[in-house]
Amino acid sequence: MAAGTAAAGVCLLSDKAAALVSSPVKTNILRPPGAVPEEIFPAKCIRCGRCVEVCPYESIVPPDIRKGIYAGTPLIDVKKIPCYLCMKCVQVCPTGTLTRISQQETRMGLAVIDKHSCVTWNEELALCRTCYNVCPFKEKAIKLDQLRPVVIEEFCTGCGLCTHGCPVNRKDGNKAINIEPIYAFKPVRW
Amino acid sequence: MGLSRREFLKRTAALTAASYVGMNLPISMEGEAQATDADSWHPGTCRLCGSGCRLELGVKDGRAVALRGISKSRTNFGYLCMKGMLFYKLMGDNHPDRLKKPLYRARKDQPFKEISWDEALDIAAREFANAVKKHGNDSVAYYGSGQALTEETYIFQKVMRGGLRTNNVEGNPRLCMASAVGGYITSFGADEPIGSYDNFERASCFFIIGSNTAEAHPVLFRRIMRRKMDHRDTVKVINADPRISPTSRIADLDLVFEPGTDLALLNAMAHVIVNEKLYDQDFINNYSTFRKGKDKKQVSFEEYRKFLEDYTPEKVAQLCRGNMTAEKIRTAARWFATSEGTMSIWTMGINQRIRGVWANNLIHNLHILTGQLCRPGADSFSLTGQPNACGGVREGGGLCHILPAHRLVKKDKLRHQVEKLWGIPEGRIPPKPGYHTVAMFEAVNQGKIKAIWINCTSPAQSLPNCDKYKKGMARDDVFMVVSDIFPTRTTELANLILPTAFIFEKTGVYGCTERRSQLTRKAVNAPGEAKPEVWMVREWALRLSRELNDPVIKKCVEPFMGKEPDYELPRSIWMEYTQKLTKGRDNDLSGATYEVLAKLPDGVQWPAPTEAFALKGGTDIKFVRGIDPLADKHAQNEMPYQFYGPAHPDRKLWIWLRPQKGPAEMPDEEYPFYLSTGRIIDHWHTSSMTGRVMELVRANPYAFVEINPKDAEKLGIKPNDMVEVVSRRGRNVLPAKVYVGPCEGMVFVYWHDMAEDRMINRVTKDAFDPGSKEPEFKICACRIKKVSGPKPLKPFIVEMS
Repeated sequence: MAAGTAAAGVCLLSDKAAALVSSPVKTNILRPPGAVPEEIFPAKCIRCGRCVEVCPYESIVPPDIRKGIYAGTPLIDVKKIPCYLCMKCVQVCPTGTLTRISQQETRMGLAVIDKHSCVTWNEELALCRTCYNVCPFKEKAIKLDQLRPVVIEEFCTGCGLCTHGCPVNRKDGNKAINIEPIYAFKPVRW
Repeated sequence: MGLSRREFLKRTAALTAASYVGMNLPISMEGEAQATDADSWHPGTCRLCGSGCRLELGVKDGRAVALRGISKSRTNFGYLCMKGMLFYKLMGDNHPDRLKKPLYRARKDQPFKEISWDEALDIAAREFANAVKKHGNDSVAYYGSGQALTEETYIFQKVMRGGLRTNNVEGNPRLCMASAVGGYITSFGADEPIGSYDNFERASCFFIIGSNTAEAHPVLFRRIMRRKMDHRDTVKVINADPRISPTSRIADLDLVFEPGTDLALLNAMAHVIVNEKLYDQDFINNYSTFRKGKDKKQVSFEEYRKFLEDYTPEKVAQLCRGNMTAEKIRTAARWFATSEGTMSIWTMGINQRIRGVWANNLIHNLHILTGQLCRPGADSFSLTGQPNACGGVREGGGLCHILPAHRLVKKDKLRHQVEKLWGIPEGRIPPKPGYHTVAMFEAVNQGKIKAIWINCTSPAQSLPNCDKYKKGMARDDVFMVVSDIFPTRTTELANLILPTAFIFEKTGVYGCTERRSQLTRKAVNAPGEAKPEVWMVREWALRLSRELNDPVIKKCVEPFMGKEPDYELPRSIWMEYTQKLTKGRDNDLSGATYEVLAKLPDGVQWPAPTEAFALKGGTDIKFVRGIDPLADKHAQNEMPYQFYGPAHPDRKLWIWLRPQKGPAEMPDEEYPFYLSTGRIIDHWHTSSMTGRVMELVRANPYAFVEINPKDAEKLGIKPNDMVEVVSRRGRNVLPAKVYVGPCEGMVFVYWHDMAEDRMINRVTKDAFDPGSKEPEFKICACRIKKVSGPKPLKPFIVEMS
C-alpha cells in the first residue's frame, strides 16, 4: 500500500506531492491565535508576514517553499518558542485569517498529558508541576489533583507554554504534555 | 537480596522516568543512554533545599549520570523534586561552566588569570596576614554558607577564631534562620525543633504561616498533602500568608493578611485561646512561665491576659485587612487548640521580619498555651531553607556570636571550654562577638575589613539592598577570596577565585531541618583542579602560621595533617567536632560517626550520645523521657518532659508578651505598594546552580512580578507587560504576571534571577531585627509602573569573561 494514495481513489499523489498540499499543522506545530480552520487557511492568508513581524517573542515562523501551498503561512512551534498570548498578531492581520479574539477565547489546540511519560503521573516518583506553574490560566486551564496536573479542556488555550516548559523529552521528540491542534481541522460550513 | 514485586516495579519505573528527564541536550542524551545502566549508585543528600532528601547518584564510567530518591529514607521516602532529580548535570565534567583553576587579579578592574594552587594559597595567606599585621585581627572576616558541609564550616571558624583571633565568622543563615534560632532559644531554651518530620503523618491540624511550602519544600509539602488527602474531614490545614500561593490549595482556612500584621494575628489567636479557655492549664502550670521585656521579667498569667486585651479578633481583623474576619481568627484558634496534634510550619515569612524573633515567640506561645508540644503530631516546627544551615552553621559555630555545639561566644566558661578542647592557649578566642552579616558588609563598605573570604554563597545578589554592599565589595583595598563552583555575581567582585568540589565530589555531612545529620561520600571526581574546601583551609592555615609567625594557627589544623582530602581529612574533622565539641552538649553527636552514618539509609537525629543509640536513628522528640536520652540524664523530677535547654536555667518554656510591630518601611504616597519576595519551585536561591540546568531554565527562564488583578487594572497593566518596580534603594524592570496571588496593594517578585534588571535584592530593604540581626527581606515599600508592552527576554547567567 503506497502511502499518500488517496483512499477513495479520486486522485493519486506521490509522497512528495502530498507533502506540498497537506497541512503542516500537527502536534505542537500550531497556527497563531484566532486562525481560521486549516481547510481555508492557505486560501485566506496572503502571506503578508505582518504577524511574523509584530510577534515580540519571535514565536511565529513561516515555513519555506518546501511546504508547498503552505509556504509563508504563520506557524508556531511551541517546543521552540511558545505563544505568550500577547494578541498582537490578531490585531494586525489584514485579511481576518487570524480573527480578532481575546486571550481567553484563543484555541490554538488542546494540551494533552501523556500519563506514561509525565514524571509526576508515572508512578509516584518525582514532583514536577512545571506545566501548572507556567500556565497563564493556572487553576483554570490546568489544575493539580493531588499534585498531579490535569488539563481542563474548557479553558485551555493551547498556547504551548506548558509544552515548552516540560522537562520530559520523549523519544519521538515530543514532550509529556503536548498541544494537539484539535480545532484546526474542523470542517468549514460554507 | 529479595525484592518484592512492588519494589521491583517501583525501581523499574524510577529508572524509566530518570531516563526521560532531561534529554534535550546532546550531553543529556548521553546521560539518558547511560542512566538505565549506571555502574554504581552512591547514597547522599540533596544539595538544594533544607528538607534533606536522601538520594542516590548513578555513576557510569566515572561520570554522574542520574539521581533517584532512596525510598527507605525517612525524610523523603524516595520522592524528589525536579531540582533534586537534575542537579547531577552540574557534577564533574558534566557542566562546561564549572570553575576549574584558581583565578587571580591584583586589582578588580583587571582580567583574571589562571594561577597554581600554591600561588593562590600563598596570595590568600599573604593578604590575610598583611591585613592582620597592619589593621588588627578584626580586619579579616569569613562569610560562609548554610550549603557548606559541617566539616567546612567547622574548620573555617576554628582557623578564624583560634588562629586569627577574630569572631568575624558569619554566614548566609543569618539571612534565613537567625530569627528562628532566637525564637527557639528564647521560648524553649534550646535551639532547633523539638519534633521531627514524622509529625506530618500524625498531625491533625497544620498551621502554615509565612511559608510557601509547596514551592520551597515540595517534597515535605507532599507529605502534608498526603496527610490531608487521606483524612479530608479530620485533618485541618490553616494557611496564613499575605499571598495566595500554591500552598493555599490544600487549605481549609486561608488567612490573608496585609504584610507586617502577623504579630497581631498571632496575639489575636492567643486572645481567643485564653478567653475561650482553650488552653491546657496543667501544661502551663508544670512547664511554663510568662516573660516580658528585655530583662525577661517574669509576669503572671493575669498580666498576660491583660496584655492580650488589645488583640481582640475584631480589632485585629480590621488591622490585618486582606480577607480577615474575626470569625476566621476564632476558627483558626479553635482548630489550633482543640486538635489532637497541631503542627505549626513557617519559614522566611516569619523569620525575615524586623521582629522575626518575636513572631517566632508568638507561634511558640500558642503551642505552649495549648500544650501542643512533645506529643505525636504536636510541634512548633521551623523549616530551614538551606541543606546545612542547621547542621553546619547553627551547630558548627558558623555565626559571629556562637561557637560549635550551641556555645555562646560571650560566655567565658564555654569559650574556655572550646579553647581547651582545641588545645590552644586560654584567651585565644576573643570574648566579643564579631560583625553580624549586615554589619560585616557595612564594615566592608567602610573599609574596616581588609580581607574577606566568601565561601559557597553570593552576597552580591543575596544581601538586601545589595547595590549598597556591592560598592564595598568592589573596593580595591578590600581583598576578596571567593570559593565556589560556578561564576556568580560575587566572583565578579573577587580578587581570588578558588574552584571547589561539589557535593558527591567530596565527603562530608549535611544536617537538615529535623536535627538529622546525613553523610555524603565522594562518588565522582571534581573537574579540573577543583578541591574540597577542607583541604584549602588546612593548607591556607599552614601558610598563615608561617606568614604571621604564629604556631597556634598551625596548632588549629595539626590534628588534620597528612590526611588525604577526599575522606580521611573530613572524617578527622567530623571526629574532632562530634567526639570533642558536641559531647555532653544538647546536640550531642558523639554516636554519629561516619561509620554509623554510612550504615543508615537516612542518618542520625541528635541528641545521639552513643553509637548504639545513633544506630537506631537517634532522638525523634527532644525533651521527652524515654525517648530523648538527655531528658533522662538531666531529669530532676518525675515529670515526663524535661526542658533541659541550656538557655533557660528555670527549665521552663517561656510564654512571651510581645506586642504588634509593623514593618520598617510602610507604603506611603510615593511608594504605595508592599513588595515581598520569595522562591519559585524550579530555582533555588541565586540560581547559580539551577540556572544552569536547561530543563529548569526552560520551565522558568526569568523572574517576574506578580500583581493582583485589581491593582493591575487600576494601573493598566496587562499580563507580560514590562513593569518597573522602584523603591528608595533601587529599580527593577520585570514582566508582569497578573494573578490572584498577592493581596491587593502588594506585589511579589522572585529573587533567583541574576540579571541586573531583574535582581530584586537591589530593591529590598536592609533593615534588620535588633535581636536576631536578620534583615526584613519580606517587606518594603515600592511603586510600580508599566514601562512597555511585552518584550522577549533571555535567561541570564553570569559567565567568566
